[in-house]
Amino acid sequence: MSVRLVVRTFSELCITVGALIVLFVVYFLFWTGVKAADAAEGEIDTLQSRWAREPVAPAPPPPSASTEPSAPAPYRDGKPFATMHIPRFGSGWEWPVLENTEVRTLQKGLGHYSGTARPGDTGNFAVAGHRRTYGDPFKDFPKLRPGDAVVVNDGTTWFTYRIAKRPYRTVPTDTAVVDPVPRGSGFESDGRYLTLTTCEPEWGSSHRLIAWAHLDATRPVSEGKPPELAD
Amino acid sequence: MYGWIWRHLPGNAWVRSIIALALILAVVYALFQYVFPWAEPLLPFGDVTVDGASAGGAGAGQ
Repeated sequence: MSVRLVVRTFSELCITVGALIVLFVVYFLFWTGVKAADAAEGEIDTLQSRWAREPVAPAPPPPSASTEPSAPAPYRDGKPFATMHIPRFGSGWEWPVLENTEVRTLQKGLGHYSGTARPGDTGNFAVAGHRRTYGDPFKDFPKLRPGDAVVVNDGTTWFTYRIAKRPYRTVPTDTAVVDPVPRGSGFESDGRYLTLTTCEPEWGSSHRLIAWAHLDATRPVSEGKPPELAD
Repeated sequence: MYGWIWRHLPGNAWVRSIIALALILAVVYALFQYVFPWAEPLLPFGDVTVDGASAGGAGAGQ
């Protein structure tokens, strides 16, 4: 009698745990993507309505004047300030870039390493993104090749960066990869760089995958999309 | 466990089935809304940043 009760309770527990695990996998693989797509769309809408209200700067600052004395307002933590487009990942690939790289920020889009350069500035504009889950923004990261375009729009200017080399694998503590002149990139002097980071292997966290790019062209938003995004 | 719950639900078999279904949906909702979002950062899949910290926390930034 009591053996029967113990066995029954034990088997019920096993079924419960199994169901929990299945539910978690559904949440992790499917539901986070739904949430992230929704959140990213909301962030892009926020950006576009903000940009629609603000006057467009007549011209982007000329490259030599990037360290102008009137420093622009700092980005607000956890808020979007730009959109990123990578044609290699698909013509419709568009994600918001938010300030900081905290867990909650990266659930809504790509995260800008606080303290690194702004898009187009001298230094390193460093951005992290999920490779898997939360919409899989950087799922195709290893497919990046030298010359691929990474296009960033900050509301006034389109910045077109060019990937410099194939993705580089490193350890999580290698913070020098987001330095102003990133170590391992092959860049040797100051410049306008972009760094993308994501996890490696695809479902693990033992390493990081890094891609570097340098600024190739800028274009005021009033002149329309850059040719890389023409479909 | 489940037998105990079933015996303590009121009504006939139909009413019990409907209540049980509602209970299951409530549990799934609570899991998706509160439990899984809490548990998910404890797993290593969210580590996409280089931060010099130990692998435990997901990307606390620079």
